[in-house]
Amino acid sequence: MNILIVEDEKSLVLEVYEFLTKEGFTVENAHTKRSAEEKILVNNYDFILLDLGLPDGDGFDLLTTLKKIKNREDAVIILTARGSVDDRISGLEQGADDYLAKPFSLNELLARIHAITRRKHKLESNEIAIKGFRINIQNRTIYYNDDRINLTKKEFEIFNYLVLNKKRVISRTNLTEHVWGDILEINSDSNFVDVHVKNLRKKLAQFAPIDWFETVRSIGYRINI
Amino acid sequence: MKLQIKLALYNALTKLAIILFTGTLILFSLQRITYHHIATRLLQKKGELTSHLSSKEISQILSQEKSFIDYNILPEEYIDIEPLKTLYNSETEVTFSTEPRTIDKKTETYRILKSGFNYNGRGYSLEIGETIDGIDELKSTIKGFTLLMLLIAVSLTLLIDLIFTRYLLRPFYQIIDRKLVKVNDPMNFDYEKVITSTQDFKMLDDSISSLMIKITNLFTLEKQFIANVSHELLTPISIISSRLENILQQEGLSEENENKIFASLKTLDRLKSIIKSLLLISQIENNQFNKNAQVNIRDMVKEINEEFEDRLDDKKVTIINHVKNSFSMPANLSLMYTLLYNVISNAIKYNYEQGTITISDKLDNDTYTLEIADTGIGMDQREIEKAFNRFEKLDTGEKESYGLGLAIVKSITAFHNIKVQIASKKNIGTTFKLIFEGQA
Repeated sequence: MNILIVEDEKSLVLEVYEFLTKEGFTVENAHTKRSAEEKILVNNYDFILLDLGLPDGDGFDLLTTLKKIKNREDAVIILTARGSVDDRISGLEQGADDYLAKPFSLNELLARIHAITRRKHKLESNEIAIKGFRINIQNRTIYYNDDRINLTKKEFEIFNYLVLNKKRVISRTNLTEHVWGDILEINSDSNFVDVHVKNLRKKLAQFAPIDWFETVRSIGYRINI
Repeated sequence: MKLQIKLALYNALTKLAIILFTGTLILFSLQRITYHHIATRLLQKKGELTSHLSSKEISQILSQEKSFIDYNILPEEYIDIEPLKTLYNSETEVTFSTEPRTIDKKTETYRILKSGFNYNGRGYSLEIGETIDGIDELKSTIKGFTLLMLLIAVSLTLLIDLIFTRYLLRPFYQIIDRKLVKVNDPMNFDYEKVITSTQDFKMLDDSISSLMIKITNLFTLEKQFIANVSHELLTPISIISSRLENILQQEGLSEENENKIFASLKTLDRLKSIIKSLLLISQIENNQFNKNAQVNIRDMVKEINEEFEDRLDDKKVTIINHVKNSFSMPANLSLMYTLLYNVISNAIKYNYEQGTITISDKLDNDTYTLEIADTGIGMDQREIEKAFNRFEKLDTGEKESYGLGLAIVKSITAFHNIKVQIASKKNIGTTFKLIFEGQA
């Protein structure tokens, strides 16, 4: 899949580029509205990561330009530091697929990209298999062989996020933010997310050993496969 | 003392002084004038007497022995002649005095002319008197009248002055009330002029308005500054955070370094939270939110309680929800959510383990009150006063508190015209009241 990053902050582009490349995406950059426009008109992208505050114009204009072109399926994720509610609403109204406020976690970005991919392309295999567990993202269910495991909404979210970001340590803060959303002054030091993880593991462990579901001391969790 | 009363008193006192002064002046000059008139009359009589002197008349007066002059219509006068052993040596010398005399068994005060004359080689002393009791009566009448006038004048003046100064000063109090007392936020200042013809008040009004414009400009500048700075800081944080995340991907990273990087990410999260909170406050204060949702408080409280289940379990805190009324108001959905979320979050955060939180409500006429009471560590008076200040936090074991939660609550409640009251006792608990006035 190919992704276009439209962002004038070069250091940030570099980091997103590095991360997404490692994830196996083909990544291109555009630092200005003009160069982005040229690229968009020439190529089809699976994803466009769009910053709103560009040196030579508003990122919203690119969105409008894109939406005028017929038969384009490019998914747009707006990345912005503006963070105002109005921006979020008008961004989504103008056809953006998602909206991520800066600063965002790269893990979160990846999760959003996956979510949009599944939604947009109605993937045939809506299932992720992991060590005999099958996660059906569409129905939000988990099976082990033919046994359905009853997970709560939050337990499912946690597991899904960890699986999506497998092999990576996910901090409690990151996990909390993903599952509970971006609520200000959230008490991330509190370990209430642990309670859910504990319950989740108990439920999974009934079916198979889950030594791959690691707790990383004082930091968070990792699914190590 | 109020200016109005001061002015009225001042006016009353000056009037009192003027009336007293004129009163004394009138009384004094009245005496002088009447004495002068009496003296003239007495002298005239003396002249008449001495010019028409005859033996018969003298003997007649002598025989009468102090009686009223019969040829005078006025009974208040008398003439008295006493023969002297010698000649009267200074016929022109005349003295006046005020003395009591008894005539016809009636004692009265007289103004008396004392003199003498010689007739047919004999000397006589002469007294002509005119009663002044009448004048004294007149004087006391005037005194009484003056006093009465004084009383009436003073009370009338007081009354009229009070009414007039009240009328006169009304614009002043309007300015105080509308432009100073009721101003909570310089952004919503009422620039409409107070109607007055008094130039001083116009000046006051204008001065306050221009001062407010200056303050508002400074405020706007500060808010813009906060908004801009916050916004500009978010991008660098994003860069650092992404970079650290990428470093974490590298293989062969030692556990020690990994921990350090996670610690750094956590610090960045803290920075992000603070900046976002400040940004939110400044956006609320700049009225960048609308109130286009009809928010039902009861439903929202229920929703938030469900959201908090994890934290409640974690801390073994119980929420007792007594909210009965289905109260709705036009508000901003996400702000109202944040408001209630923060208040209940504090009730959990500052509660003891196994504590309780009681949420109840009350609907009185058009005032709806939501009460959130916890059994937590509580605050003393000093802490309550500072609770809404930015970066003010209670000294607790909780590390992740930035002291912005209540500052956000304050700006959201101000935005929605909700009154907030905190009652708290150290180690017993805090009760948080949200009062929705006139919105029911």
